[in-house]
Amino acid sequence: MNRLLIVTTALGLAAGAAQADELKLGLATAQTGGLAPYDSPVVAGIRIAVDEINAAGGIGGATPIVLIERDVRSDTAQTVIAAQELVDAGAEAIVLPCDADPAIAAASIVSAAEIPAISTCASSPTLPLIGGDYVFANFPGDNVQATVSASWAFDQGMRRAFILYSPDSQYTTMPRYFADVMTALGGEVLGEATYNIGQPDFSVVATQIAAMIPAPDVVMTSAYEPDFPTFLRSLRAAGYKGQVIGSDGIDSPTTFGLGELAEGVVFTTAGHPTEGSPLEAFNALYAAKIGSASETVFNAVGYDLVKVLEAAVLAAGSTEPQALRDAIANLENVQGATSLITYKGTDGMPIRQVSIIRITGGARELIGQPAPDTALIPAPRMQ
Amino acid sequence: MELTLPRSHLAAALLAVVAIVVSLAFVGDGIGTSVERTVTVFLISLTAIAAIGLYSGNSGILSFGHLAFMAIGAYVAALLTLPAPIKGATLPALPDWFATIELGLLPATVIAMAVTMMLATAVGLAIWRLEGSAATIATLALLIIMHGVLIGWRDVTRGAQTFFGVPRETTIWVAAGGALVALVVARLYRDSASGLRLRAGRENAIAAAAVGVNVPRERFIAFVLSAGLTALSGALIAHFLGAFSPKKFYFTDTFFLLAMLIVGGMTTVTGAISGAVVVTLVTEVLRRLENGFDLGFVAIPQIFGTTQIGIALLILIALVRRPDGLVGLKEWEERLIPARRAALTPKPLSPAKAEALSARNITKRFGGLVATNDVSLTIKPGEILGLIGPNGSGKTTLLNLLSGVLKPDSGSVTRGALDLLGLPPHQIVDAGIARTYQNIRLFPTLSVYQNVQVAALSSKGGGDADARTAGALDWLGLRAAAEAAAGTLSYGDQRRVEIARALVCQPSLIFLDEPAAGMNREETDALMAILRKLNAELGIGILLVDHDLALINALCQRIVVLNEGQKIAEGAPDVVRNDPAVIEAYLGAADHEAP
Repeated sequence: MNRLLIVTTALGLAAGAAQADELKLGLATAQTGGLAPYDSPVVAGIRIAVDEINAAGGIGGATPIVLIERDVRSDTAQTVIAAQELVDAGAEAIVLPCDADPAIAAASIVSAAEIPAISTCASSPTLPLIGGDYVFANFPGDNVQATVSASWAFDQGMRRAFILYSPDSQYTTMPRYFADVMTALGGEVLGEATYNIGQPDFSVVATQIAAMIPAPDVVMTSAYEPDFPTFLRSLRAAGYKGQVIGSDGIDSPTTFGLGELAEGVVFTTAGHPTEGSPLEAFNALYAAKIGSASETVFNAVGYDLVKVLEAAVLAAGSTEPQALRDAIANLENVQGATSLITYKGTDGMPIRQVSIIRITGGARELIGQPAPDTALIPAPRMQ
Repeated sequence: MELTLPRSHLAAALLAVVAIVVSLAFVGDGIGTSVERTVTVFLISLTAIAAIGLYSGNSGILSFGHLAFMAIGAYVAALLTLPAPIKGATLPALPDWFATIELGLLPATVIAMAVTMMLATAVGLAIWRLEGSAATIATLALLIIMHGVLIGWRDVTRGAQTFFGVPRETTIWVAAGGALVALVVARLYRDSASGLRLRAGRENAIAAAAVGVNVPRERFIAFVLSAGLTALSGALIAHFLGAFSPKKFYFTDTFFLLAMLIVGGMTTVTGAISGAVVVTLVTEVLRRLENGFDLGFVAIPQIFGTTQIGIALLILIALVRRPDGLVGLKEWEERLIPARRAALTPKPLSPAKAEALSARNITKRFGGLVATNDVSLTIKPGEILGLIGPNGSGKTTLLNLLSGVLKPDSGSVTRGALDLLGLPPHQIVDAGIARTYQNIRLFPTLSVYQNVQVAALSSKGGGDADARTAGALDWLGLRAAAEAAAGTLSYGDQRRVEIARALVCQPSLIFLDEPAAGMNREETDALMAILRKLNAELGIGILLVDHDLALINALCQRIVVLNEGQKIAEGAPDVVRNDPAVIEAYLGAADHEAP
């Protein structure tokens, strides 16, 4: 009897010890090349989260995270190769770059291997649709951002809108979602204009807008630098004095460096460090670990990616990839540094809080962090 | 297609190519996983590099634009293989008949290559007369224009957004097949008659034209062929990635592939393979080191970017130490295997039929300078005419005007009923006129044999080329030196190669521009003997320009004297020697053997 007790206890302890395995997280991101400015800040945030969690013994105090990193050099073929390597190395979850091409190309690898993959910061709502069940995004969708800004504009009494968009990339077609929401709410889109990314002159559309009678209450665009400053300058020079709404693409030091010109511009972004908020806490953690202040919300976005995985591992009770994938898809209200994050009920595009910021006196003024009305969010558009 | 290299070389070259590609595929297939994918990407890159090298290596024109053809190959093939439901969802604007097409990889690739070659024909015709850097910039424009078209034609390409859903059918064996096709075609082209002519044009365009090579036409052929093979690599990469967009076919990938080509050596297929292998190996090694490693006593930390830095250093070192690429200018078998050409009875060069060459009132101006001023002369069939005059009198200019290198501003040059001025430079040789040059214009990296062979292939319809080549080499006593690179010969020997090259065209009239320059007395005498023999036995007329008056007086039946672009005397050597105008023209000129 005693012997049986000892043996079963020993077995029980052994089984318990075997539960303390690790989460192998593969990073197939761009450390060099054109995508590096987008992926690197996110990866920095990922590393901070991993260090914080491992310092406490791992996820749930028992499952440390092991990072396996590969530089994809901003190349699609390399991403495919790196994803395969990570799969071969036993990665249980993979992080993909911030761009559609490499993420979609690698999607077939992760789908075949049945391993969940999360893109660092791609925001097109079509990505999880094209990528399949195993691909998730880590950023508010373009359609969600547009819903938030359009709802705010409508609530402010703005009824007539003009949008400027570029068909050159998915991200720059965000204003079309804005137009959809504005129309659905009962507003009116007076007109739209297209531009080519990088075009040097916006005076034609600026003059067109300034000359409209009645003038639009709001002009919305998701152009980012250098197009946004050029456009804004032309617009104000042409005499348009109404509200300009931008997107997270202009959440950068360049915009704040525009001075007087950018006064009053409103934009949406992934988060804002209000007093006592998790983002404020993260910024403090970042400054302590790195030695300088965080310059971009994308650091926090990376931190949140790991928080999502942590929640998934806890929910699944294991690090088995299939279980992880199902757990991620069912996550609800995970507290990240930027906001609460929910995947449940979505197709892979998380529901995250969007912060509305106004540039006032050269500084950020938080207008609000509303939860968008899901009924208003336009369906993802392929083209 | 006629091949210009010895059988032993061809067999060795093709066997080596097959062996390398097949063994790589075996290894990749055997190891599997990510190594297999790396090898697949390598083989696809090799296909592209072989294709670009076919054009750039043989023509000497660096092409930045070939990824435009890769893009066409990728998009056309992908549009044809894309499953109909995805096509309908992502490309709703396509016409119905196209939206329902769904082909297999092979037919789609073949159609893509055909479409690309048609487009390359149009582009090639537009740029075929461009030389050197003008042509290179034109190819750059092609790349930029194609990129713009791909982004703008959204209904067909999804613009700048990801083109996805392409069936991932490029396995390692499919890629190996593509690489084999490209390498074999590139190798066969290089050593075909067209390839040899193109290489001659690369070495010296003017001399090539003078022996009958239509350089723009050969460039055009290489351009279209290389475009088709590049399209093949495009179709392969499209079906490997499954998702791509126009930025895959732009500057970043262009530089990456060109770097491989230049590091290995642009002019040879061996170079293309070597460059690809070296750059890929270095990349793979550095990539693994990039993650940091533990040497036991010290841990090297993670340094991302090691790969890029390593490749950049490799390129710098390679170009500094070996500007012609790691492999240099010869294919591997040309270095290792002695050439054994089939022994041939040299064909006796048939006596030439001839008519008088008549130049009337030729005038040529360069800006304000009148280089040739109303000069008329006649060269009778079979005569040796000397053309002399002080330096700067316009002798070489006149020679260039008579041989089609320059066009006169006024006057006529006829041979019987044939108006020579209406002929393009490469057709002058079939009017029976061949020439040599004041500054030797050989094809330095080609062998002596090939220098003469290319002329044989390009004149008289290319018939009996090898026999005629052997005959010309025998005439000038060059058989022993036949396989040496022409640029490595002594000055005197190089002159003889030039004359052999002119002779093989079976001309009835040869222009020799200072053939004795740089020769000593013995060599000059030997040259004189050869020229006399040519004239006596074959009836070939000679127009001889030289400063060696002993040679001129001994050889020429008649002499024409130029001074400051004008003809000042004409007649038998004794008459001209004593002409007061001639003496006055030469008075004060330094160091001439006194008549």
